[in-house]
Amino acid sequence: MHTYPYKETSLLVDAFTKASGRITLVARSARRPRSAMRGTLMAFQPLSLSWVGRGEVKTLTKAEWLGGISLLRGEALLCAFYLNELLIRLLAREDAHEALFDRYADALRQFSVGEASAPILRRFEKALLKELGYALVLDREAFTGEQIDPARYYTYDPEKGALAARDSETEHAVIGRTLLSLARDEFDDIRTSHEARALMRSLINHRLEARQLNSRRVFRELLEL
Amino acid sequence: MKSQGTLSSLEELIEALRCLPGVGPKAAQRMAFYLLQRDRPGAERLAAALGRAIETIRRCASCNSFTEAHLCDLCASAKRDTTQLCVVETPADLVMMEQTLAYKGLYFVLMGRISPLDGIGPRDIGLEVLQKRALDGQVKEVIVATNFTNEGEATAHYIGEILKGRGIKLSRIARGVPVGGELEYVDAGTLAQALVERRPV
Repeated sequence: MHTYPYKETSLLVDAFTKASGRITLVARSARRPRSAMRGTLMAFQPLSLSWVGRGEVKTLTKAEWLGGISLLRGEALLCAFYLNELLIRLLAREDAHEALFDRYADALRQFSVGEASAPILRRFEKALLKELGYALVLDREAFTGEQIDPARYYTYDPEKGALAARDSETEHAVIGRTLLSLARDEFDDIRTSHEARALMRSLINHRLEARQLNSRRVFRELLEL
Repeated sequence: MKSQGTLSSLEELIEALRCLPGVGPKAAQRMAFYLLQRDRPGAERLAAALGRAIETIRRCASCNSFTEAHLCDLCASAKRDTTQLCVVETPADLVMMEQTLAYKGLYFVLMGRISPLDGIGPRDIGLEVLQKRALDGQVKEVIVATNFTNEGEATAHYIGEILKGRGIKLSRIARGVPVGGELEYVDAGTLAQALVERRPV
């Protein structure tokens, strides 16, 4: 997901793996000019990694390029940075998250073929919250257990779930249709996809506690230039 | 070691050396002892050179690289093509581009790259300065030669965004199989990208 320079010629690699979750590896001599790993340890590329060691930081012994995802560019690349930052900030080390790993791999593949980014991001955010143990309940009102009415207004409490709101003026209120289309991964409607984006952002922020995402700040600065 | 809040000169020297990249407490201690024990003239030269460099070296007004004058030698040279501007990440990249002898235009050195995960955004590198420089009326073509890493690509994307539609030709250096490269020995990632970016012959 990301590499950091380490000592004179090594790299610290933060990797997301299918069987072991998020792990930290040290790639010895990977920054030497003729290192075989130079260029291979690139974020957003599927790799086959071998490592040794038991401690928190393992030693990378082999990294093979698997391919299949062309290099990302432009907006897709920026979105992919956002995914990686979410994973780095929110996943504990060495917890396997196979379903999320598959979702992540799908997301990168979809980015690489140029699919619209908003649905990919929403699906990934939903899967991430689910893996963290906070799966969204989008079809029922949390208090009464009644089905969500597409025409009514709701607020979404991060701990409780969807709560009926008095009207559209209530702070952070979204129309029921937004919750239902988020549940079904439908993002064709401009209004509901806008509301879904704001809703997911507030839920992710809740899980991040007070920490700010660097990637969001960087996107904002781009828009301001 | 002393327990008071003030550091002895030796401790301060060791602390100061730790600001160098890749130098930890042990390496800093070794360097400090070496300088004091075995190479005092070397230490004096180092101190003087550092002091002078900090005082006189500043950013070139045109390319953002290091220079002692208002403009660096390259930007001040009359032999360069002022309509082309090549954007690189670091002064080391500029030196490499110069070694190719294939480029006669001017440069702009960003002094970094955008890296969202490290919190480095467009304001932290010289993007706003680049925008002014590229739109000064002289430049007709901007050649983006940032690295082919994800961070370099993101930087190239931002440069494209701030310069597109301003009547400037924008290009990115090509990537692919190295000169003299045999397909059998080229790494798979490079070859895959060379296929994606293939061109008509």
